[in-house]
Amino acid sequence: MQDAADTTDQPRRDISRYAVPLGIIAFCAWAYWLSTQFDRVPPILKRGMQPEDFPQLVIGLIIMLSVWLLFRDTSAAPERLTKMVQMTMGLLIGFLLVAEIDLFLGLGLFAGSLAALWGERRFWAVFLVGLITPIAVFFLFDGVFEVRFPRGLLTNLWYG
Amino acid sequence: MDAAILNGLLALADPHLLMLIFVATLGGVLVGALPGLNATTGVALLLPFTITMEPIPAIAILTTIYCAATFAGAITAILINTPGTSASATTCLDGYPLAQRGEAGRALGMAAVSSTIGGIISVVCLMAAAPLMARAAYNFAPPEYFALTVFGLSMLATIGDGSPVKNILSGAFGVLVATVGIDLLTSIERFTFGMNELSEGIPFVPVMIGVFGISELLVQADNLHVERKQVIMKAIKLPSRDDYSRVWKTILRSSGIGTFIGILPAEGATVASMIGYNEAKRWSKKPEEFGKGSLEGIAGSEAANNSATGGAMVPTLALGIPGSPTAAVILAGLMVHGLRPGPTMFTEQADFAFAIFWSMMLVNIIFFFIGLWGAKIFARVTLIPIQVLWPIVFIFSIVGAYALEQSMMDVWIAIGSGILGFFMRRHGFSVVPMAIGLILGGMLETRLGQSMVMLDEKWWLMLTRPLSLFFFVLTVLALFGPTIWGRFFKQRSPLKSTGE
Repeated sequence: MQDAADTTDQPRRDISRYAVPLGIIAFCAWAYWLSTQFDRVPPILKRGMQPEDFPQLVIGLIIMLSVWLLFRDTSAAPERLTKMVQMTMGLLIGFLLVAEIDLFLGLGLFAGSLAALWGERRFWAVFLVGLITPIAVFFLFDGVFEVRFPRGLLTNLWYG
Repeated sequence: MDAAILNGLLALADPHLLMLIFVATLGGVLVGALPGLNATTGVALLLPFTITMEPIPAIAILTTIYCAATFAGAITAILINTPGTSASATTCLDGYPLAQRGEAGRALGMAAVSSTIGGIISVVCLMAAAPLMARAAYNFAPPEYFALTVFGLSMLATIGDGSPVKNILSGAFGVLVATVGIDLLTSIERFTFGMNELSEGIPFVPVMIGVFGISELLVQADNLHVERKQVIMKAIKLPSRDDYSRVWKTILRSSGIGTFIGILPAEGATVASMIGYNEAKRWSKKPEEFGKGSLEGIAGSEAANNSATGGAMVPTLALGIPGSPTAAVILAGLMVHGLRPGPTMFTEQADFAFAIFWSMMLVNIIFFFIGLWGAKIFARVTLIPIQVLWPIVFIFSIVGAYALEQSMMDVWIAIGSGILGFFMRRHGFSVVPMAIGLILGGMLETRLGQSMVMLDEKWWLMLTRPLSLFFFVLTVLALFGPTIWGRFFKQRSPLKSTGE
């Protein structure tokens, strides 16, 4: 029993120990390639640096630090993402999709679903975050701050 | 300068502005007391609300939130053993044991008094030091500014409890993100993928909202099981004469420490409170009481973290280098309002600068009274279920991100930054250096480009200029000093930063 407990308590060491620095290096390689595609200014108009010089300098620094992490970082890998976090992220992606139809429809659905997902069972609380708050925020920003929200299924009811 | 000090004070005579500062103080205390929210997140979320305002009320609101939220962290630290902000983590060590002994009121009274004194001392230092620093920096040429900005970024290594290499990497990533858009020196587009929305670069505000607000929402998804129980409190008690005689030296010492730490680029209230607490314990006649309910512990921590707020504004306003993570968001706010922090602020916008200083002074007085009479009510807000709180925070975050440019692209940027920030935090990369790198990136590149023009593309000539060399030496010390120090001396402090 003791052994089993000890094993579970040990920090997880998985592929992310190497995947994170390697992922950063791969991203940097891509960014470096992109930077080689920038237009260049003729030498006579050049003011100190070409447009790719500074990004390439920073990319070089990031790669150096990532290589250091690859060989010297001894920190344990984080725990696996919990189901709750995964579902919350799923809701975020769902929000982005619904927001294309109507921003406030997306906000209301996301807020209400998030409250329910996180365990809120009182109807008034879900109603408050899913309906009352988005409506109040819409009229606050539209009326007081004069923000024009993107037209959509619900906002068209107000904008006509 | 005298006229500017007076004009700044007169600007506060506007009843509308006074009312705004009062409401913002209440809001700041609320933000500091709410679980998961801190001064940085609060300022980032409030920033879009200030866009339509005049610069003085807009920035006064942001600095008010900063000061009030830093203080309010103590309320939850003492009553529910959960620091409202990481800067109050050390306040838990003595505040909660005192509260459990039925002396919550006394602990909160001490926190309010030491926070107020610390805050006022730091604002006085700010009023004296910022113009002096600005005057010293007035003759800086681009190489000196470049070296100073590099030094500011190097200080990111010590933010939070993450590895210095990961912090610098995160800061460098922020600088890289800042290169997106049209290059100011050559007018050539970079990393825009043909999207017009990106030609002016990645906007600060949605990124701030994402990395501080939305990433925290994902962190909170793992904290649903945390139960918060409030200690019963009868009434707040002001410290007695005996208490004052025991703690006055601690308050003064911690205020000095906090102001100094705040002035250092990137170091904020969290580091200040830890050092303030440690020094209070080291100098105390009764160090054995620390951790068991020592009033000196509360005073040491609270005076230091509140005095760091004024200190952090010194380099922010005088040099354009943020003195803390929250100051970095305020710096973004200054830029959004078209203000140019730096030496010229004290010649061209001196009235504005002193109005901000006076408003910070006022906040420290207001939150003293709010702390004394309102703590009981504010402590109750910590019991708001996060199932209700965070969906509402999300709605404000998204609408705030959209409102600035009224662009859906900013909503995508906020969500993307939030998810990225969450994964960065999971893998031990602090998001604060990334945010500061994003803000300072443009400045860094412009000054390097100007230096190259000035020095005829011979960058090494920067090392022949005494001030640039001085800042580069400081940079090397900031990056490698702790390692060298650690090799030769045993580390004494058992406390670790929780990051801001």
